[in-house]
Amino acid sequence: MTGHVIVITSGKGGVGKTTTSANIGTALAKAGNKVVLIDTDIGLRNLDLLLGLENRIVYTIVDVVEERCKLKQALVKDKKNPNLSLLAAAQTRDKTSVSQEQLKDICDQLKKKYDFILVDCPAGIEQGFQNAVAGASEAIVVTTPEMSAVRDADRIIGLLEAKEEIESYKLLLNRVRPNLIESNDMMSVEDVVEILSAELIGVIPEDTGIITSTNKGEPIVNDETSLAGQAYRNVARRIMGEDVPFLDLTQPKGFMAKIKNLFTKLKGKV
Amino acid sequence: MKDLFANLYNKVLSFFHQAENKDRESAKDVACNRLKLVLMQDRTNLSPAIMDRMRQELIDLLSKYLELDKELLDLNFEQEDEQMALMLSIPVIRAKEEAEILALLEEEDNEKENNDEEEETSENEEDDESENDDSDDASEIADESEEDSEDAEDSETPVESDSENEDSEEDIEK
Repeated sequence: MTGHVIVITSGKGGVGKTTTSANIGTALAKAGNKVVLIDTDIGLRNLDLLLGLENRIVYTIVDVVEERCKLKQALVKDKKNPNLSLLAAAQTRDKTSVSQEQLKDICDQLKKKYDFILVDCPAGIEQGFQNAVAGASEAIVVTTPEMSAVRDADRIIGLLEAKEEIESYKLLLNRVRPNLIESNDMMSVEDVVEILSAELIGVIPEDTGIITSTNKGEPIVNDETSLAGQAYRNVARRIMGEDVPFLDLTQPKGFMAKIKNLFTKLKGKV
Repeated sequence: MKDLFANLYNKVLSFFHQAENKDRESAKDVACNRLKLVLMQDRTNLSPAIMDRMRQELIDLLSKYLELDKELLDLNFEQEDEQMALMLSIPVIRAKEEAEILALLEEEDNEKENNDEEEETSENEEDDESENDDSDDASEIADESEEDSEDAEDSETPVESDSENEDSEEDIEK
């Protein structure tokens, strides 16, 4: 079997790459796929925290490439879902500890046994990015509807286009705030898609639940009532090839909005 | 009495419309426009000054054949697979009369006879132009337009059109 190797990247930091990796990985595993998450942010590892696995890590990716352990030994199984494993980054080393060839080799080995290998990419466009992308054939570009994040996403898309190994890339728009879009204070999903002219794979609403879920070390896809969790589960289904419509994020109108509407209508008649 | 009510009504109305003042450009539009501009520079590595010049020269060139709404000109580079495409969109107010165009062309180039294009082809030229441009390296275009501005030969290549259009600038001034 040959699994899919998908790199999750963004250029800009803080847009939700790691949150996205943890949630999509968990959702894919819950749907019955065998999934490995690779944290390539060596020196600044966080994926273990988001999954609540920080106390279980014995070996890291650097131990694997320096042959202190076998690849299989370094894979940490998730607490709840045995289908999900994490290959953690080393915290006390830097990006030069692993080469592009070594990462490609790890991905090649893993894709023989797993359905999906998600590579969580560090911020930036330097070696960390080059390493993360090396073994992947697909990419998810995470961005938010903010100018700096969109600009960096455009740069990343340019770099991905130049890579022969990357067969396709899709856009994931994170931290969308429907009320700000409605008041024309934030770029809409359509605006960002048009500007980047990229195919969309998911729209995730801003959700305070993300903070609590991170604090607890439990991905929000496990929360059946969360809208962001629902949006991430939909992304996972799209990755699996299903055709899932995008969520309607427009909020129900409040009292003031209704009055405003009434006046707008009246104005038309006068 | 009627005035008083109208006044009151307007005041209440303006209170509810404070948040969405439609005359003012929204934050979203500002963001979109700034982003489009900065991405155009990022994608081409052209400086804003060069971009402005290219934009101006394109307007001048096309203005010979068409009356355009220059305010609404939208120039953008888009990445499509490995090819970069120049997307140019300008609302056309009207196509100029053939005689009008010919007079202008004759004026700017007396010696050459090979520039009697019809007004239909001038519209096509808009497309040709953008297609030709995207196959070229964008920075090349900028260079060429400066270098080739002296020697005018055929009016068919985009490089040539650029050079002619410096002449047309003078014409418009006259």
